[in-house]
Order: sequence, then structure tokens, then C-alpha cells
Amino acid sequence: MSMRELVTGGAACAVSGSSSSSSNPLGALANALIGSSSKTQERLKEIPNAAAATSHTQFYDDPVAALPGSELDHPFLQSNAQGSDFIRGFRTAHDNGLADAWDEIQRQPHLDRVYNAAPAPPIQPTLDGPPQRVLSSFLHSFVDSSRSGIPLHPTPLPLLGLSQGDKQCIRDRSSIMARHFFADKSEEFINSQVNALLSSLEIDSDSHAKGPMPGRFRELEDYWNESQGILKPGAHAADGWVTEFSQHRAQHGDPDAWAHSFEQQHGAGGWASEFEQEQAQLTLVDQMRGGNIVNLAAIEQTRMLAHTLSQNDDPKFQNSKFLQFVSKMSRGELIIDDNQVKPASGSWATEYQQQFNGGASWADEFVHDEVSHGPAQWVNEFATEREQEPVDDQWVNEFSKLHVDDWAEEFGRQVGEGALGDSSSDNWATAYDEFLNEQVASKERSDASTGVYVFSDMNPYVGHPNPLKEGQELFRKGLLSEAVLALEAEVMKNPENAEGWRLLGITHAENDDDQQAIAAMMRAQEADPTNLEVLLALGVSHTNELEQAAALKYLYGWLRHHPKYGTLALPELVDSLYYADVARLFNEAAQMSPEDADVHVVLGVLYNLSREYDKAIASFKTALKLQPNDYSLWNKLGATQANSVQSADAILAYQQQALDLKPNYVRAWANMGISYANQGMYEDSIRYYVRALAMNPKADNAWQYLRISLSCASRNDMLEACDSRNLELLQKEFPL
Amino acid sequence: MPVFKTPFNGYSVKFSPFYESRLAVATAQNFGILGNGRVHVIDLSPSSPVINELIAFDTADGVYDVAWSESHDSVLVAAIADGSIKIYDTALPPHSNPLRSLKEHAREVHGLDYNPTRRDSFLSASWDDSVKLWTLDRPGSLRTFREHAYCVYSASWNPKHADVFASASGDCTVRIWDVREPGSTMIIPGHEHEILSCDWNKYDDCLIASASVDKSIKIWDVRNYRVPVSVLNGHGYAVRKIKFSPHRRNLIVSCSYDMTVCLWDFMVEDALVGRYDHHTEFAVGVDLSVLVDGLMASTGWDELVYVWQQGMDPRA
Repeated sequence: MSMRELVTGGAACAVSGSSSSSSNPLGALANALIGSSSKTQERLKEIPNAAAATSHTQFYDDPVAALPGSELDHPFLQSNAQGSDFIRGFRTAHDNGLADAWDEIQRQPHLDRVYNAAPAPPIQPTLDGPPQRVLSSFLHSFVDSSRSGIPLHPTPLPLLGLSQGDKQCIRDRSSIMARHFFADKSEEFINSQVNALLSSLEIDSDSHAKGPMPGRFRELEDYWNESQGILKPGAHAADGWVTEFSQHRAQHGDPDAWAHSFEQQHGAGGWASEFEQEQAQLTLVDQMRGGNIVNLAAIEQTRMLAHTLSQNDDPKFQNSKFLQFVSKMSRGELIIDDNQVKPASGSWATEYQQQFNGGASWADEFVHDEVSHGPAQWVNEFATEREQEPVDDQWVNEFSKLHVDDWAEEFGRQVGEGALGDSSSDNWATAYDEFLNEQVASKERSDASTGVYVFSDMNPYVGHPNPLKEGQELFRKGLLSEAVLALEAEVMKNPENAEGWRLLGITHAENDDDQQAIAAMMRAQEADPTNLEVLLALGVSHTNELEQAAALKYLYGWLRHHPKYGTLALPELVDSLYYADVARLFNEAAQMSPEDADVHVVLGVLYNLSREYDKAIASFKTALKLQPNDYSLWNKLGATQANSVQSADAILAYQQQALDLKPNYVRAWANMGISYANQGMYEDSIRYYVRALAMNPKADNAWQYLRISLSCASRNDMLEACDSRNLELLQKEFPL
Repeated sequence: MPVFKTPFNGYSVKFSPFYESRLAVATAQNFGILGNGRVHVIDLSPSSPVINELIAFDTADGVYDVAWSESHDSVLVAAIADGSIKIYDTALPPHSNPLRSLKEHAREVHGLDYNPTRRDSFLSASWDDSVKLWTLDRPGSLRTFREHAYCVYSASWNPKHADVFASASGDCTVRIWDVREPGSTMIIPGHEHEILSCDWNKYDDCLIASASVDKSIKIWDVRNYRVPVSVLNGHGYAVRKIKFSPHRRNLIVSCSYDMTVCLWDFMVEDALVGRYDHHTEFAVGVDLSVLVDGLMASTGWDELVYVWQQGMDPRA
């Protein structure tokens, strides 16, 4: 019973035909204590002209069902009615409160902030405010961010006060809904999908209170069959428990009955003491957790889930917020743990980024989650339990009462007792080894995938007599995408040509594709490990990607191999490069020869790395005095200005300078767009992004920025054109 | 044609059986997974392209479906995700609403259907696997129909026989019930996957359609349900809701998780008559006006309600 009901005595206090609790003095007190909402003042009214088959008083025969506003007194989840501050925040919200919350969501402040950080990696907004707004904004920014392809960084959220009921809602509803969507696959597949989703959500053992009807999910049946097959073939007929379960359902109907019958069997404190017993086994349990029983199937299925999502080419689907929401949850990227909604692991954003760039599989991190939280073992536990004690209702009690961790412990205890037999322990060990191997293998795959140069298909320059010359010519003309093809033809012909790779890398960098630029430059460095231009370019590209260690390595390499400054470099530094050391060395170099623009350029890059933008700007300006026609320097200066807090005019002027010197400099066009977006001039930013993309449709970052600007400018009508990369339409709509 | 923007994700839309320009819309926050709900009652004005909101009712949990009373022009019932059913009178101010909250279902109420012939009772289909029969003047349900083994997503009255209805469930069956009988009178194992919606043909009381997660719509003759009369393929994902036309015998409208609304003539070979691609998220609510031939409405998780004339572009 909720407090209000206790105070008001429920509907029994209400008088027929008069008003509800508000006319009751105690009811008024309750309103004062608990907070009034419009619903508490509702009057029970006869339906106008309704054929009255029964008298008025009959409304009150059933106090639970008849009382208007009883939703306040009888929350759906009675067991934790008083615990849900969060949902009460929702439920007492007045119209305006809802509207405000909605406006808040609509404004999407996080997008602005993402922008302010560009081109540095997006920064997660600080989420504060009433808990329900935090959750709403979080869910929305969550799906929005994945939509724009910019990963959200893990954010500590304030306590949301999600009750068990809330968690259960999230879990149950999303799993039922997901079944509708993913069910175009086989039944087995759907079941495993739902299970993958569930196991992710069950990571928090707390959320596994007396759950939804376990029989609701058909995968139970599958797992039952499966586990029977693994542990003890033919022990029970597969459909045995289904029948049994149906019988049980017929007997009890009400899920609460399970709790009662459990208590009848064990006494109210029964399982608690059982639990204490199991605590004694903790050492063993920890051992078991170390060698976690990972459900390989679940991992595989989760991978398939993401695959299914990515398979659908329809941009509408790729953009569906719901699908992204569900898939995040199923990946364990969103977990509800310790009353907080939070990203599952600290590194998922990075991993996600890698995946986005065609690299690592997120399975790793899902696996990581499994290791740390260990869901999914309950099935085995259940199987074991069933095997040992074929008492009819017991598993239902177990399932509905026990926490995931308890199952794990229970399992651990039984393994300790040898209940499973050696052979099955070995099975688990083998399975775990396989899982480890798989993890290692996928890690290797992901490492290999960065830094691998990806060639274009259908290159018309293959077979060209002198593709290097052609490439240089195209580059000079600013036809960067064409130049890429010609230079690719060159390095395919002469893989050891460092100059070919270097030019290719520079072309990619100017075309705003740092991944390919790095890959090409690494090949150039392989061919010529001491080429200064290559080392400098690698340093810059890694700085752009905010990979400090790699950037330092190459910038230091530049110094070490430089004929003039090589003496400054201390060989012992190579293994442990610190930013301060490298910066100090370059400052020495700058003092040695203040007329060397390159040194100032490197210093500018270094200061970008340490986010000392004022110093960086000074360095670039010095370099520009020495080399006023270097368009890439103007661009660097503009980009640095954009990162620091500088007047908008200055930024645009520098970018414009770069563009005047080199009109087809894709990166400068994109940076112009970013500059405009930073000032909130989204329509203008769109025009620059579109121009950049018209020159290089492969600039993925620019597509993401464009998408953000479109939504910030409320040009949602063009999002589809953006998603389908319909440049023709975009150029028509946003001419520059 | 006019568009109405809802703050939450659309779940269901229904034309009033009394006023040709009036509709009720059920919506839920956060895709119905967690949060509030709101019922909107909206009016199309014949002159302006704007849809006016007459009144809106807030709920503490998502609203999954809504049904107009067939006996009172201002009364409607709403299916709430917290398991309750709420009765609203749009003629009364918001603080007098809801008239009543009926709380018996143990889980989400997903579908409602008002009896069009007796006009005094309605059905609720719930994720607690049961269907309940209610009248407006009783505080408790009259009957509970508990045979399905999984969520019941929709229930639909037979248009001719006032005591007969069908229910569609995730247990992959459609069941036919007669409220005068203790149990179901017929079980149609219609699909290999969950069945999300069913509806009776308005001209032939023996024809019933079922829509499934298997992407298909099947038309059944209850006198011989071993083989479907027709199978309508064309949706790319689960079919969420179906509705027979009140004006044309062979016409059926459907909406789907493939984000489209489709029109079908189940008697011809090329059954797909029209496909509307206007929603940008799952299309989950669709209705055909009883009063105006060819007037259609749809809603979806893109928070938009479209009303348009068949054959026209909903966005035009």
C-alpha cells in the first residue's frame, strides 16, 4: 500500500457521488504531505447517459479498480511503490513541466557543445537537472549522437533513482519490442537476440528482482534444451517443464504467488540464510568468475544483432532512433547499474570510433562487460538445479527470487561440490579458452586494421606511363581525389617509392581523410625511415587524430633525423617520450635557427597537442612570416584559432587566406564550416561542408558535421539527402 | 494534407465514429519504454491546413492505444502501459478526467476495441496474456479470457455478431471467442511468428485478417481456416496493425516496422494497391474513417500524425 492509501484509507473513505480524497480531511493532509496533483482532485463521475445497469454504490465495491486517480495509489509495481522517486518525478509532472522537459530535449544542447569542441573530439555535455530530464536527455543524446556518428564519451550521471520497476520496464518492454523488429530472422535467432539484449541488461544484479514472467521468453525453452544437451543429454523431455510451467501458471496465475509459495517452502528468511551459506564459498566463486563462464552464443548473437542492423541499407533504418537505442542496450553500451544509467565501459567510445572507421569489433567490449559482470550463467545454474532437484515449482521460485550473482555463486558452489562432474567443468574451461583466443584474435584484427591503406576500386590510372608525374600535376591543380587515384597507381607500380606514398598521404590529409593519410605516410616511412617531410606529416596527422604518443614519436623522429638538430636529440629519450621533453628540444631548435619555418610549424603542432593554443598561434604566425604562401599553414592557423577562443572574423580570415591560396583545399572548406558552426551560423556552415564534400565525398568527418549542422539549423528535411549522400540535392539546396 | 506533431512517440490513432474531423492519438515517451504518455484529441478544420488540439490528457505511463466509445460522442478509453485502462470525457475539463481508471491487468495494456454493435462494452488486450471485457458502468471487468500463452496485442469485435471477437497474440495464434462461452471457440495457428494485429472484414463476417512479425498479412475464412484465403506479402518488417476498410469490401490498410503504410486489395493478384512512405520511424498506428470514404490517418515513432485522402500524398 502506498502512503496515500494508508492515509486516506483508500477508496473506502470516499463517499458515493461526492468527491474523492480531497473532500476527506485526511485526504487533504495526504495531499499536503505527499504533494497534490490534479489527479488527486478528480471527481468520480457517472458516464453521461450511460445505461446504468448497476447502482452508483457499485462503483465502490472494488476500491482498487474504481477509485479515480488510483494510479497514484496503486502503482503498477506495488513492490517498490515508495522507492521510485524517479517515476514520481514523471508522474507528478504538470502539463507545463512536461512541456518544459520536452523543450529541453528538443533543444538538444549537447549538439551545440559537441560543436564547440570541433574539430577536437566531441565533449559530452554535463547532464544535470531533475533526474527524469537527465534520463530523457541522456537517452535522446545517446541515440542522437550515434545517429550523427559522433560517439558520446562516458559521463558520470547524477543519481537517477531508477526504481526496480523502472528498470524492469526498460528491460521488459525493450525486449518485447525488439522481438517484433528482429523477428524477420528465424525464431531461434530472435530468441537469442532477445537473450543477448537481456543478458546485457541483467548485468546489474539489482535489476533482477522478482522479474517478469520468466516463461514469457521463449529462449528459456531453447536454453533449457541446450543445457540439457550439454549437461545431461536426455535427462528430461524438453517440453516437460513447459507443461509443468503451464500447470503452474494455471494454478497460480498471479506472479506474486511464486513468492508466496517460495516462502511457504523455505520460510521467509530461507533463501537469505541459504545466501549466507553461499557467501562462505566466495573464494571459490571468485575463482569461477576469473575463469568466467561466458556465454559464447550470446556474444555471437549480439554481434549478429549489430550485423543485422548494419545490413539494412535503408538510411531510414540506419537513422531510426529506436533501433540505435536497442542496439546500444543489447551491446551493453547502456547499462543500468547502481541506480545510474551509464555507458558500459570507459573505452567504448573509442572502440566505437574504431569500428566506425572500419576497424575493431565492439564484441571485445561486450565481452569485457561480460567478464566484469557475468550474466547469463543462470541458465546453466537453472539446468543444474533442475537436474538435481526435480521439484516442480522450485525453479520458478529460484528464477524469480534469486539475483544473477546468486546464481553465479550457486553455480560456483555446485562446481565445488562436483555436482556437475568433471567433464562439464572441462567443457567450460574449453569454452573459456576459445573465448579468450577469439578475443585475442579480434584484438589483432582491430590493430591491423588501423594503418592499412585501402586502395580505391576501378582506378583509371593503373597502366598510366607516369602516374607520379600525373599525380603531382593533379595535386598542383587541386584535383585531390583524382590525384589520389594517380598516386595510388604510382605506389601500386612502385611500392617502395617513398615520395609517391608521401604525396599520397599529403593529398589525403588535404582531402580531410587522416586515416588514409596516416596509412599512406606509414608506408612512406617504411620506404624511407628518415624522410623529414614524412615524419612531420605523420606527426601532424596523429595530432589531428589526438594520438599524442604517436604524434610525439614522429615529431621527435623528425628532430632526430634532421641534419641540423639531430645533435639535440638524446638517444635515450626514444623509449620514453614525454611531451615536455620534446617541446623543450624544439624550443632549443627554434633558438638555434629562428629562421627555420619548419621548427615553428612543429612547435605549433606540439602546442596544439598540449592545447596551449595561444602559443600554437604564435608559432604558426612566426612560421607564416617566413613562409607567407604556405596555404597549409594558413589552414593550421585558422584551425588553431577555431579551437581557441578567438574572434570569429580572424578565424574566417585565416581560412579564407588558405582558400584563396588553394581553392580546392577540402580541409580548409570543412574547417570554414566548423568555424561557422561554432558561431551558431549553421546555414553558412552547411554551405561550406557541402562544398567540401562536393570536392571529396569520402570525407566522412565532414558528412557527420554536416548532419549535425542540418539538425541544428532545423533542416531535418535534408537529413535524408545527407544520409543517402545525395550531393546533387544538397548542392542545389545549399549553394555557396 | 495536415500534419500534427506530438511531443511523444505516436502509438495509435483513431477516427471518432461521431465526428468526421475528430481523431484521438495515443502517445508514449521514450518509445514507450519508460516515461509519460499523453492522449491527444485533435480536430481537422475544413478550411485551414492546421490540426487543432481540442484537449490532451497526461498519463503517468505510456499510452499504447485508444478507442472511442460507440455510445457517447465525447468518451474515449485509453490503454496505459502500467496495466490500467482510463476512461476520458473530452467534454469535461482536464481536471475532471479521467472519469475512471480500471486497473486489473498485471502488465501493459496494448489494444482496445469498442463493441460496434452492442455499443456498451469494450475489450482490452494485454501483455499479461489475457483479454478482458468491460462496460463503462462497471468498476471491474465482466470477463477475463485467459488462454493465450504470450502477450495479447489486439482484440477485435466481429461487426455482425455482437458476442464474437478475435484476439491476436505473440503465441502465434489468433483465437476466436464467443463471450457466452467459457473458452475460445477456435484457434487459428496463423503464423510462424508473433501475431500483432487482427481485424474482421466489415462486409463478410467470416473473414478475418491477421498481421504478423513474419512481415505478412493473412486473410482467413473462419469456416475453413486450414488454408488462408490470401497472403499479402510486401512489408519489409513486422506488420504492426491492420484494419479492414469500412467502405470497400476487399480493401485493407496496414502499417509496419518498415515505416510504411500499405493499402491492399486482398482479392486481386497484385494485392498491394498503395504504399505510403511518409513516416521516418516505425509506423505503428493507422486507421480508416468510418464517416469519410478514403480518409486515412497514421502515426509513428517520428512523433507525427498524418491525415490524408487515399491516393494523395500524406505529406503534400
